[in-house]
Amino acid sequence: MSIETRSKFQLFPSHEVNPSPWPIYMSFSLLSLGLTLGLLMHGYILSTWWLILAISVVISTIFLWTRDIIIEGTYLGGHTIAVKRGLNIGFLIFVGTEIMIFIALFWGYFHSAMNPSIEIGCQWPPVGITSIKPTELPLLNTIILLSSGATVTWAHESVLSRNRHNALLGLFITTLLIVIFVLCQICEFNSATFNITDSVYGSIFYATTGLHFIHMIMLSLMLAICTARMYVYHFTATHHVNLETTILYLHILDIIWLFIYIVFYWWGC
Amino acid sequence: MTEYKLQTPGFDARFPQQNQTKHCYQSYLDYHKCVALKGSDFEPCKVFWHTFQSLCPHDWVENWDDEREKGIFPGDLSIDQFKDKTEEKKE
Amino acid sequence: MYMLNNMLNDVPTPWGMFFQDSATPNMEGMMELHNNVMFYLCMMLGFVSYMLYNMLTTYNHSVLPYKYLYHGQFIEIVWTTFPAMILLIIAFPSFILLYICDEVIAPAMTIKAMGLQWYWKYEYSDFIDDKGETIEFESYMIPEDLLEEGQLRQLDVDSPIVCPVDTHMRFIVTAADVIHDFAMPSLGIKIDAVPGRLNQTSALIQREGVYYGQCSELCGVMHSSMPIKIEAVSLGEFLAWIDEQ
Repeated sequence: MSIETRSKFQLFPSHEVNPSPWPIYMSFSLLSLGLTLGLLMHGYILSTWWLILAISVVISTIFLWTRDIIIEGTYLGGHTIAVKRGLNIGFLIFVGTEIMIFIALFWGYFHSAMNPSIEIGCQWPPVGITSIKPTELPLLNTIILLSSGATVTWAHESVLSRNRHNALLGLFITTLLIVIFVLCQICEFNSATFNITDSVYGSIFYATTGLHFIHMIMLSLMLAICTARMYVYHFTATHHVNLETTILYLHILDIIWLFIYIVFYWWGC
Repeated sequence: MTEYKLQTPGFDARFPQQNQTKHCYQSYLDYHKCVALKGSDFEPCKVFWHTFQSLCPHDWVENWDDEREKGIFPGDLSIDQFKDKTEEKKE
Repeated sequence: MYMLNNMLNDVPTPWGMFFQDSATPNMEGMMELHNNVMFYLCMMLGFVSYMLYNMLTTYNHSVLPYKYLYHGQFIEIVWTTFPAMILLIIAFPSFILLYICDEVIAPAMTIKAMGLQWYWKYEYSDFIDDKGETIEFESYMIPEDLLEEGQLRQLDVDSPIVCPVDTHMRFIVTAADVIHDFAMPSLGIKIDAVPGRLNQTSALIQREGVYYGQCSELCGVMHSSMPIKIEAVSLGEFLAWIDEQ
């Protein structure tokens, strides 16, 4: 039913979602991902192929679910102004939970770093840990992230002012910058002299930067999808919720990275 | 009957908290620095010895002694910064 | 008249609703604070119950639930400031007591208590003999089938802490495996034993006696079977005990 016919008799602005298998699919694929991770880490499963299988099931479920949402929103016109507002609020709350989890990790870091325990020699970084220098790769990463914030703003402005060429270019450059960031982080993790089992320093360092890293991978996928949807004319100057949430996500991860850089790389070295 | 003195480390303004872990640990460090500087017969070092003896569990001290023997003790036991001062005083 | 057949209670008893009898100034203070707070509690409980009862029984005739009052500046100020004042009156003595109990200024001896699964280990490291050895012993609960006449089930141990009365003592409490808790109700002590951390607390036992406590942090299947027993004796007897060890 098109939005025109529906608006003739429907008294509320929301659209009713058709029966969908994706929530239960998602639950089970996340369950299998969690179980596989746990069993793998504790040595009950020896092959990483199970993990790859679980991740690909999760990713394909996300893909199919968001495909349905795109059909509902872009092609069937289900996303009215009220629905758009709801989606944006939902995403804001999600971002709030992200901030909470990073606050928890920062708390853990400060707890261990401000009064280092005697087992690690009462100093931070602990005895025997060579921390990563903040003026090398992390500084480059910071610059990359800050410039990605600039390019994404340019892309957004271009979308709003109906400049398709610039918007596409801006989104493409942003995606590229985030991919470069991810690659730089992989380099840095590989060349670091400590790993996640090296004292509380290694644990909290990789827990936080690693979580941020996973988020950045997700963000590069989101940006790639936005670029693709931009290319196939999904976004209009007034209707681009996907792009808005992605931009918000990028900025939040940007800010979190700044704090990580200041605290983990600079203050904590 | 042996004579006993009821004596134990008192309040230390550096460690006013309920958590006395660092009190014990610092005394252990100070004792070994003191001995390294002045030799084990130097009487004032005994104060540190009594403090960590009274506060630290024996298992901890044994563990630390083992670590020092193996050279893997994480604490800072360097005495170079104090050496200069004592030499200056002698001059 | 109560004094004539007074027996001080230092063990948990069936239907023991109130505290065990205090043996330290700290516990004395805690009981006083408890009674103090209980006074306010009873007053408020009585007042609120009266209002509720009044409203339920004489709804139409009572002046309390005046249903046409939908806004009143004065009453709102009263019911905000009044509870705040009561809370302040309760908080001040509570904080004073808290910080007094925290002070360990000039102890005369130190006893280290280490919680292990599932027994306590005590060290008296202030006393060193000629060989350089100190007193260190483990204290296990006496199992039920080995109890002798007069011993307490799940409370008596093979080797209790012995300590002198009227002496400032410092307890250093820690654990070697999981978190335990060193709790002595009569002495007003309840302090967590955390691995890798030394917690200190103090006690000044004012009368001779045998005091019982239990591990108070769930630490495993035998959590209920690692009691603490303290024998408070006179200084002379204590020194004799030290000599024996």
